[in-house]
Amino acid sequence: MDYAIWTLAGIVYGFVMGLVPVAGAATALIALFPFIDVFRADPYILVCFSTAIVVASTIGDSFASVVLNIPGASGSAATMVDGFPLAQQGQAGRALSAAITTSVVNGAIWGVLVFAFLPVYATWVLNFGIPEMMMFLLLAFCSVVFVNSQYWFRGILALALGVFVGLIGQDPITGAARFTGGWDYLAAGVQLVPIMAGILAFPELVEAYRRRRVAVTPVTGNWAQIVQGMRDSWQHRWDGLRGGFVGAVIGIVPGIGGNIADWLAYGQTVAANPRESVPFGTGNIKGVIGAEGANNAQKATSYVPTILFGVPGAPFEVIILALFMMVGLELGTPSLLADTQFFAAIGLSYAAALVITFVLAMLFVRWAQRAINLPFAWYFWPVMAVLIWTSAQYTGYWEDYAVFAMCCVLGLAMREFKLSRAAFIIGFALSDQLEKIWYQYHMLYSTWDFATRPIAVTLCVLAITVTVWGLFFNRSRISYI
Amino acid sequence: MKQLFAFITAAVLATAAQAQYRLIVPQAPGGGTSVWATVMAPHLSRALGEPVIVEHIPGASDIPGFNRFHNELQKDPKTIMVAHGGNAESFLTDRVDYNYGDYAPVAMVNLNIAVSRRADFDVEKDHIKFGSTSGRRPDVMAIVMMACGPKPNTDAYIACYKQRMTFVKGMKPTDARLAALRGELNITRETFVSHKKFIEPEVAKGVFVDWFNHGVLDLKTGRIVQDANFAHMPTFEQAYRARWKQAPQGEFYDAYVLVKSYRDVLQKSLWVGKNNPNADRLRDAVRKMLADPEARVEIIKDGGNYEWFVGNDMAQAYKTISQRVTEPALKNLYRFTVDGMGLEAVYKPELIGKK
Repeated sequence: MDYAIWTLAGIVYGFVMGLVPVAGAATALIALFPFIDVFRADPYILVCFSTAIVVASTIGDSFASVVLNIPGASGSAATMVDGFPLAQQGQAGRALSAAITTSVVNGAIWGVLVFAFLPVYATWVLNFGIPEMMMFLLLAFCSVVFVNSQYWFRGILALALGVFVGLIGQDPITGAARFTGGWDYLAAGVQLVPIMAGILAFPELVEAYRRRRVAVTPVTGNWAQIVQGMRDSWQHRWDGLRGGFVGAVIGIVPGIGGNIADWLAYGQTVAANPRESVPFGTGNIKGVIGAEGANNAQKATSYVPTILFGVPGAPFEVIILALFMMVGLELGTPSLLADTQFFAAIGLSYAAALVITFVLAMLFVRWAQRAINLPFAWYFWPVMAVLIWTSAQYTGYWEDYAVFAMCCVLGLAMREFKLSRAAFIIGFALSDQLEKIWYQYHMLYSTWDFATRPIAVTLCVLAITVTVWGLFFNRSRISYI
Repeated sequence: MKQLFAFITAAVLATAAQAQYRLIVPQAPGGGTSVWATVMAPHLSRALGEPVIVEHIPGASDIPGFNRFHNELQKDPKTIMVAHGGNAESFLTDRVDYNYGDYAPVAMVNLNIAVSRRADFDVEKDHIKFGSTSGRRPDVMAIVMMACGPKPNTDAYIACYKQRMTFVKGMKPTDARLAALRGELNITRETFVSHKKFIEPEVAKGVFVDWFNHGVLDLKTGRIVQDANFAHMPTFEQAYRARWKQAPQGEFYDAYVLVKSYRDVLQKSLWVGKNNPNADRLRDAVRKMLADPEARVEIIKDGGNYEWFVGNDMAQAYKTISQRVTEPALKNLYRFTVDGMGLEAVYKPELIGKK
C-alpha cells in the first residue's frame, strides 16, 4: 500500500516538475537529497518514488514545449519544432495527445525490454568502447548538421560555436583552465540549464512578445483532438518506433547523455520522410511523434548501464545513483542484481507511472491547450522567473544570473542570424565527450583500428551516408533555427 | 503513509526554517564527498541540536567552492567547509586561494585507496594503461615504481613512465572503471566503498587481481601502516618489497609519500574560519556523533571504517603531513606532474616548512 501511495506521490510531483519549463527529472530528483532520511527505513519506497518522478516528469515535459514553445526539459526541445506550430493552428490537443501516446508506448516497450532482460545487455554495453563512441559522436554531428538544419553551412558554424562554448572550462588533458578569461566560475564550464533557458527558451519568449497581437486559431473539440492525436500515433507508428529506437540506443550508451536523443530522433524522422505535404517545422505531426518516441525510451534504457555497472546512462541517473546509494541500494553490484524486490519495485512503479501519468496527462490537455490563448503578459514573467530560478540552481550566486543573461543575448543573436540552435546545443552537449574520446582514441588505438570493429564501422558508414544524403538528396530540411 | 507525511512535513519545515549550519561541498550533488556530507549532515544536526544543510558550490577540480570558502564564506560562524583529497592534492601544486593553515580544524577522516590490475595483465612486459581523473597522482607514482623498480632519481622515473605507461586523461572514475572492465585499460584504483562494490566481484570471478593499497597514517608514529579495511591486500611498501626485494626509497618515493599523505589523510576534512566561535561546539558535536552507534554504522557503511581525527588530533595529523613538504619532495612532485604526466602545475616554495 505504501509503495502505491509513494508511486502516486511521485507521479504528481514529477508531473508538476515536468510542466515547469526547463526543469526536468534531474531538477526534481536533486530536491530529494535533504529528505533522504525519510526513505532509509524502506529504500524500496525511494525506488518507487524516484521512478515515478522520472516517468511523470518526462511526460510532463512535452506540455511546455508544445504550448509555450519552451523546452519542458533538455530532452523535449525537439518537440517544440512542430508541436508549437500545431498549437498555433489550434491543434495543441492533438499534438500533446500524439506526444504523450508515443512517449508512453515507447516507454512501455523499452521498459519491458530493459527490466525483463537486463543482464543480457551487459555484453552489449561492454562492446561499446572508445572507437564505437567516437563514431557515434561523428554520426550525431553529421545528423544534426546535414539533416536537421535548413542552412547546413550555418549549421556547421552553429555546431562549431556550440563545441567552442562547451570547451570553455578545464582542459581535460592538462587540467588547465581555458577560454575562461580568468573567471573562476567558468573553470567548470558553462552549465547546460542556462544554455537551454537562454538559447532555446528566452528567444521564444521574445518572439511571443512580438506576435502578441497575432490571432491564434481558437481551440475546439478537446476530446476529438485527443482521439486524433492517438490515431496519428498509430498511423505514424514507425516514426514513433524509430524515434524510440534512437532514444533507446542513446540511453544505453554511457556518457552520451539524453540531451541529444530527441534531436537525433527528430532528424531521423525528417530523413525518413522526404516528401511531405506539410513541411517539417510548420506543424507536421510526424515531427512531434518522432521526437517524443525517444523521450521515455531513452529514460528507460539509461537504467541499463546505471543498474548493471553503476555508470550513469544519463545526467539524471547520477542523482539516482547517489540517492539509491544513500539508502543502501548499491547499483552495479551483484547483490543488487539478485535483489528481486528491487526489480519488482522499479518495474511495477515504472509501469504504474506510465499508465497513471498517461491518464493524468490526457485529462490535463484540456487546460494546457488554453495556455496558447493566454495574454502574453500573463505568462511572460512567471515563465521568466522559472527560467531564472532553474538557471540559478547551480551555485545560487550572481554568476549564475550573469551567465543566463549572456546565454539570452547569444540566443537572440543566433535566432536573428539564422544559426541553428539545435546544432549549437548538440555541439555544446557533446563537445566534452568529443575532445576526451578523440584524445583517448589516439592514446589507446592507432588511426585505423576502428575499421576492425563491426559496430564502429557500421556507425561510420551511417555517418557518411547521412552526410552524402544530407548534402545532395535531402529536400526536407527543417527551418527551425 | 506515515513516511509520506514525514516527507511533506520535512519539506515544509526545511523551506520555512532558517537553516543554521551549512556544509559547503565543492562539487555537484551525487559526487563522493557530496554523498558523504549528505549522509553525515542529519547525524551532525542531531548532535548539534540545530539544522545542518548541505550546500554545493561545484567547479573545475572542485577548487572554486573551496576558494569561495576561503575568500568569503569562512567569515560566517556557521559555515563549515567539507574538503576532500583532491583539494589537498591541488593545494600542493595548483594555483588555489585556499590554505589549510588559515582555518580552524574541526575533524577529518584518513581514508585509503586500493589499486587492482586485470588478471591478464603482465607487469613485466605489458604496457600500462591507466585512466585519469583528479587525485590520481599517488596511484600513478606507485604504479610507476612497481613497474620500473629502483631508479636513482626522478628523471629516471619520468623516462620509465614515458616508456612504460599511458596515462589516459579525461576520464571520470566511472569511465575509467568501465574501460578497465572492457579491457581498454589494465589497472584501476578504487576507494574502499567502490572497491567492495565493483572490484571484489571481479576479483572473485578472476577478471581482476588486487595489487596493493596505499595504507593509512598512524598518528602516534607518523608512519604509514596497513589498513584494516584492506587487510587481505599488501600495502604499496609491502608489495614493492616483495617484487624488488628492497624497500622503496629515494627522492621519487619521498615525493610519492608527500602527495599520498595529503590526498589520503585529508581525504575528508571539515574546516571553519580561524577564529570561529563555534569551532569547539562543532568538535564536540562530531565526537558526540561518532559516539552514537547508529550514526557510526551509517557513516562506516558509506565511507569505510576509518579513524577520525577531531580537534587537536586533526591539528596534529595535519602537522605530521605538512612536515613532509620538503623542497626536494615538492620539487620532484612538481617535475613529475609537469614533465612526466604533462599536467599543468605550479611550484609553491611558500609551502615548505609551513605548519
